[in-house]
Amino acid sequence: MKPLMEINNLTTRFHTQDGTVNAVNGISYTLNHGEILGVVGESGCGKSVHALSIMRLVQIPPGEIAAGEVFFDGRDLLKLSEKDMRTVRGHEIAMVFQDPMSSLNPVYTIGFQISEALILHKNMNKRQAKERTIELLNLVGIPEARKRFDNFPHQFSGGMRQRAMIAMALSCEPKLLIADEPTTALDVTIQAQIINLVIRLQQELGMSVMWITHDLGIVAEMVHRINVMYAGLIIERGLVDDIYNHTLHPYTMGLLGSLPSIDEAPGTKLISIPGLPPDLVDLPSGCPFFARCTYREERCAKERPQLENGPEEGHSVACWRWREIQKMGIS
Amino acid sequence: MTEKSPVMDDLTDFAVREHRSLWLDAWRCLIANRTAMVGLVVVAIFVLSSVGAHFFWNYDAEMDLDYGSKLLAPVLRVSEESPEIHIFGTDKLGRDIFRRVVHGGWNSLRVGLVAVSISLFVGSILGLFAGFFESADLNRFEKTLLMVGIGLGLGALPAWIARQPIQSLLFGLLGIVSVSTPSFLANRSRLRRLAFGLLGMLIGALAGIFVGPMVALVCGVIGLGIGLLLAKPVNGKVFSNIVMRVMDVILSFPSYLLAIAIVAFLGPGLEKGMIAIGVVGIPIYARLARSAVLSVTQKEYVLAAQSVGEGHGRILFRHILPNILSPIIVQATMGLANAILSAAALGFLGLGAIPPEPEWGAMLGDSYKYLSSGAWWAVLFPGLAIMFSVLGFNLLGDGLRDALDPKMRV
Repeated sequence: MKPLMEINNLTTRFHTQDGTVNAVNGISYTLNHGEILGVVGESGCGKSVHALSIMRLVQIPPGEIAAGEVFFDGRDLLKLSEKDMRTVRGHEIAMVFQDPMSSLNPVYTIGFQISEALILHKNMNKRQAKERTIELLNLVGIPEARKRFDNFPHQFSGGMRQRAMIAMALSCEPKLLIADEPTTALDVTIQAQIINLVIRLQQELGMSVMWITHDLGIVAEMVHRINVMYAGLIIERGLVDDIYNHTLHPYTMGLLGSLPSIDEAPGTKLISIPGLPPDLVDLPSGCPFFARCTYREERCAKERPQLENGPEEGHSVACWRWREIQKMGIS
Repeated sequence: MTEKSPVMDDLTDFAVREHRSLWLDAWRCLIANRTAMVGLVVVAIFVLSSVGAHFFWNYDAEMDLDYGSKLLAPVLRVSEESPEIHIFGTDKLGRDIFRRVVHGGWNSLRVGLVAVSISLFVGSILGLFAGFFESADLNRFEKTLLMVGIGLGLGALPAWIARQPIQSLLFGLLGIVSVSTPSFLANRSRLRRLAFGLLGMLIGALAGIFVGPMVALVCGVIGLGIGLLLAKPVNGKVFSNIVMRVMDVILSFPSYLLAIAIVAFLGPGLEKGMIAIGVVGIPIYARLARSAVLSVTQKEYVLAAQSVGEGHGRILFRHILPNILSPIIVQATMGLANAILSAAALGFLGLGAIPPEPEWGAMLGDSYKYLSSGAWWAVLFPGLAIMFSVLGFNLLGDGLRDALDPKMRV
């Protein structure tokens, strides 16, 4: 079966006063039908920008999608006209954003905002849109949806707003839902509810989901595959089990190592990766992780490693020394 | 609970709160504010009295003249020498000041309202577009609209000089052409500039055939300039810059001076005064609206609206506009006070209302000479009317600012 989305060499830059920021530097991957893909990496590694590039919502200028192809259902999104792209947005790809506090318009009721998309894309009339909206609010687990329809965003709690956002994103039954750190602004119990909700909806509706996060702990239990990003590049990707149990890239190891564990004795210091990510204006020509890597050698500074197939099916890594690391059996 | 959620019931303990709208909320906050209520009452008294007087209390300014009772001090009781009651006294022509103050209110409020509407409407629209296109790029339709607007607007100048309105239309057409440039000119900016400059000059010099060589020369030069401007490719940022720099130029004049200059150009009269005060106030609203738009555009709900596929117009008017309304409403209320004051200033200088017409500023201007002979009532009452109306609007505006401030809300 053909994948739902195939991205080739996607490159996005921002031309700023301090120089050109290379936010996404030629990433390629595929996303299958009905798959949940996790995109992980620390802040500023290009996770969100790459998602916005797929939707073509990067502000131009200063942004620029410099190169690449995004085949979605057989069409290259980057070549579509703005008008066609508008029907793709919401209709075929929908997005949920990080901050539920500011992603709903405070002057309109929740119901109005959700039904607006339905009226816009599905040509429904007001009554139909209202009924469908109430169904959607029920679907995302908002109690007494009919009463809640006329509520304003400030009458909703953070978790409920995020549910409303998800309802809005799902309103037109998209084939792909991009969730850009949707649980970061929520507390842990609500996080779990939202994650369970998305998993359930994904199974019920059969859509694909791209879950962007910096928290490897979250993705472990929900996604099928993971892309690990660093400095605008995918440095390791593969099935969840392979990434967790047969980690190959030193950066991924660092990320996994820095997760707090529940068995640790109180007072144990949290492990962190030393150093800072490289300056995206002036990327090193070698491996971008060179400066912070404990396994580095001379070659890493000079040549940038490309993604190559690892030991398992579908597991790739961009590191010169992954074979040695695998033999050392560190993880 | 018929619609129990299928997944979880843990949110049901959230009591469904009372349904309140934004404006109802603001209204409650306003009522609770005592100073704002004082302002509201003062404003209401002025509005009701002047509207009531205009419709139900006949007053013919042209015929109001009674030399027999000129400059009478306030009379509260009918007596031998004054057969009528004049609670505010009379002025140099023996006109009842109370009557003129009440009727003058109609004029002052009208000036305020119309002037503020002009600045509010033009300023907010300009600011809205300037702020929005600062970051969003113009699409083809918007570009065409903009270029035609520039062509028509600037083309009005040579058209006015040569008295040929068709020139303005021709420049508008040139604007359309500039958006849909033929492909062979697309990558040759020099050739493009040359072509548009020549075309502009030609359109301008057209006047020569009908009017005269001197006019043709002047209009030709102006046309050249417009042509060169239209040849420049515009984007949203350039547009925003042009609008805001024009606003800066207007702001750089002292406002009263500019208003006086505009009235001097248009000729005196209440309506001209409204236009003058309105134009002077445009930049305030443009700046306010632009800054508010800039901050609202950064909000995630705008991105969310884009991500469900909404277009420019919908985002601008349905999502951004309602969210910048509250500072603009506050500014408009305060602006009313300002406009009343400006109208009074113009009237005082004899540039506002034309004489027998009652207007507070003009009444002051008429009567201040008699202050030295002891006629304090002739200036006190119109002056108090100006003061209290301005105070009322300012207090109301302050209250509105608190009521509409989202930070004050829980």
